[in-house]
Amino acid sequence: MIELIQQIIDGLGRGGIYALLALGIAVIFGVMHLINFAHGELITVSAYTSYWLFASGFNWWFIAPTVIVVAVLTAVIIEFVAFRWVRGAPDFTMLMTSFGVHFLVQALFVMYVSANFRQFPRPGWIFDTWRIGDLSLEVFDLAVIAATLVTLLGTYWLLQRTMFGVSLRAAAEDFDTARLMGIRSNRVIRGAFVLSGVLAGVAAIFWLMRSGQAGPTAGLNPMLKGVLAALIGGLGSLSGAVLGGITLGLVEVLLISRLPGGTAGLTDGIVFLLIALLFVFRPQGLITVRRVERV
Amino acid sequence: MQTDPLRRAIAPTLGSVSLFLLLLGGSLLYSANGEASSNSLVTQMLINAVVVLGLQIYIGNTGVLSFGHIGFGAIAGYTFAICAISPERKLRQIPNAPFGLAEIDLTPLQSGMVALTLTIIVAFVIGLALSRSGARSGAVAAVVITLALLFVVHEVARNWIDLTRGGKTGLSFSPLGNATLQGKLPIYLILAGAIALARLFKETRAGRLAQAAREDDLAARVMGIDPAVQQMIALLLSVAVVSAGSALRVFELGSINPRLFFFDYTLLTLTMLIVGGRNSVAGTLVGVVIITAGSELTRNLSGMDVSGMNWLLRDGLTDIFLGGAMLGFMILRPAGLLGNWELDHWLYQRLRRAESPPAPTPIPATASRSVLQAAKVTVHFGGYQALDNAGLEATAGEVVGLIGPNGAGKTTLLNVITGLVKSDSGRVELNGAVLTGLSPYGIARSGLARTFQNFRLFSALSVRENIGVVHLMATRFRQNRTLPPVDTLVAQAGLWEHRDRRASELDYGSARRLELARAAAAGPDFLLLDEPTSGMSDHESINMIDRVRSMAELIGAGVVVIDHDLNFITGICDRVYVLDQGRIIAVGTPAEISVNPAVQAAYLGTAG
Repeated sequence: MIELIQQIIDGLGRGGIYALLALGIAVIFGVMHLINFAHGELITVSAYTSYWLFASGFNWWFIAPTVIVVAVLTAVIIEFVAFRWVRGAPDFTMLMTSFGVHFLVQALFVMYVSANFRQFPRPGWIFDTWRIGDLSLEVFDLAVIAATLVTLLGTYWLLQRTMFGVSLRAAAEDFDTARLMGIRSNRVIRGAFVLSGVLAGVAAIFWLMRSGQAGPTAGLNPMLKGVLAALIGGLGSLSGAVLGGITLGLVEVLLISRLPGGTAGLTDGIVFLLIALLFVFRPQGLITVRRVERV
Repeated sequence: MQTDPLRRAIAPTLGSVSLFLLLLGGSLLYSANGEASSNSLVTQMLINAVVVLGLQIYIGNTGVLSFGHIGFGAIAGYTFAICAISPERKLRQIPNAPFGLAEIDLTPLQSGMVALTLTIIVAFVIGLALSRSGARSGAVAAVVITLALLFVVHEVARNWIDLTRGGKTGLSFSPLGNATLQGKLPIYLILAGAIALARLFKETRAGRLAQAAREDDLAARVMGIDPAVQQMIALLLSVAVVSAGSALRVFELGSINPRLFFFDYTLLTLTMLIVGGRNSVAGTLVGVVIITAGSELTRNLSGMDVSGMNWLLRDGLTDIFLGGAMLGFMILRPAGLLGNWELDHWLYQRLRRAESPPAPTPIPATASRSVLQAAKVTVHFGGYQALDNAGLEATAGEVVGLIGPNGAGKTTLLNVITGLVKSDSGRVELNGAVLTGLSPYGIARSGLARTFQNFRLFSALSVRENIGVVHLMATRFRQNRTLPPVDTLVAQAGLWEHRDRRASELDYGSARRLELARAAAAGPDFLLLDEPTSGMSDHESINMIDRVRSMAELIGAGVVVIDHDLNFITGICDRVYVLDQGRIIAVGTPAEISVNPAVQAAYLGTAG
């Protein structure tokens, strides 16, 4: 029982990060029907930023907010350089474009920095545990859960209470009609990228605190997790993305603790397989977004 | 239907041979200096060409983006290596191999066959999963399922040390991992076969139906095409070619490790596929040559030392080139350099005899007594009631109009009849057979064909092919009908001049007429037309009256038509239904309808 509670908290810690990533991907999907496979590049850029700032003697208290700013800037730049040109293009084109950005950013880092991973110090407290009775809780998990909650509440407020949020939800609901109703797609799309940058920035802080390394492919794993979580949740649905992230985190933790020794390396493969199966039996994801194709 | 062997078989075969000879000739010319480096570059290019042709067969024809084909390549490569490496060498590398695989001793050809068989079995399972998930052009589920395959195969290859020797060293044929492929003949043969297979597949029934679904999945279904079988055929053929190419690649390299068939190779082959044009076999080969040349050039450049250029000429330039090519083409020229162009199209234009438009031979009128009935149809969208006990009835030889203000539910009723929207209650019958609950393609095969308010043509296909693929479906599923030949339909729609142009190049009026002709090609009992004159000038819409009438006569079908243009409706309809707020408020001849007070109230908003 105690073990299960611990695993759930561990899973929530992981899942919180996934939820933030997935939400950023779902927001972009909502406004332009693009699955952003370049979302992980925000983490990559954040990772190198952290590495360089550490090398210049800054600490996490300075680095954390900087990472968010950098992630937002990167998101906006990527939108400006690549995605704005394929708005409204067929799905195939948009998918390949986002993969193109993914590979290109990766190649730029290989070329101008190095193909090797670089380490930077992780904050000491992430290994601390609190003991409550038999329960030992990782401070890090609690910090992630708290930060996720705060960020999600902030996002919720933004989406429910601001003009931008209403436009964004309207666009996610029905893009063509939203545009006819006078919602300025340019502003909403750019805003969506800013929001996805903020969410990725918060996720990056915790992802990097745990991994403590920067490399050209640092964003691959978070990107895959984010995309998978968003898919579990049904892509267009924002609350689905959050739920998908949490689900993914919990499933991973439960798998790792239950897989027989020696096969733990297959966790990601099994997760992938499960999600492929989910698609076979429920192509629309866990949460169904009603999407009527207009004819 | 009439077949055109010159267009469908002879010209493509000649074109494939020419492509092969061009590619081979160029390669031999390039490696004529006898240098080992240019020799191996050419060999690698030809092998990559086989793999990329394999990708083309699936991705090009179906439009489904697969990231997993290199995963199939990994399965084939490992199977080939494990079968073909000699037992004594295997004892040293993987002594604990399961299933007695360490003792197996097969020739390369036999190993290739085993690899092919195994991979195709896996592909069949993946194909079923893809089909279940509703794979269609640009589908996300397909990307995830195929990525899952790539990842799972990669992880298995890294972790099943007993079988694959893990990720560090991999398996090798010789101590140095030297090339073991003696002579290039196998490469040439497989390449020639792959080119011909890819090119000829495009002209087969399966290939053409898959392409139609690629262009517009929904329109294809509504025209009676269910692409699942065709997509499976494309997948199996494509995986067979990828397997052959992958086995060659492993054989040529003399070794295999998990990294050989993973993301890098996926990026390389996909870039090759899209740069030249994924829909075209000639384009695919052009892409392979360009990317090979570009990669080689950037690799050489990155080692150079030119003052002022050091910021650019450094390691990683090749990856920048690949990523940049992928991104640049997607933004600037998503269809690739050649688009849909094939070498044999050019050949065919030169070889064919002059064509003259077929005389409109009226089909002997079948005494058809078809009846279409929709009764008590009710539909809710959330809290909004789109249709409330609406219905209509039409008989063969009759033109029935459906009019009403915007939002009255006209298109929704058409969508219910054609199976695109499920009704909460009510039923649709055609000649006494219940259509409610059938899939859109099932309904089309039963005898209903429709057009769309905003065009849904197969835009990359020619006018003739738009009609041709639907005709292809009708010849199988509408055998009880006498179908006019494709060219007669083309001429009847007034599109003879444009017959070989792509649908996306047509002007507005021509595109409307193509939609009409395409629906007629399905050999329906009833043509359902959704605003066939919207956006047309008065003059054009008057012409459309004759066009619709003569087309319906030609195929002996009844017509149900939605339109706003009252001149058009009164000119063409025998009877008119008026729909307002989801209810039928009046029915009668156009003359009766125009003086009906309820109709005037609905249209003009006067209380009545």
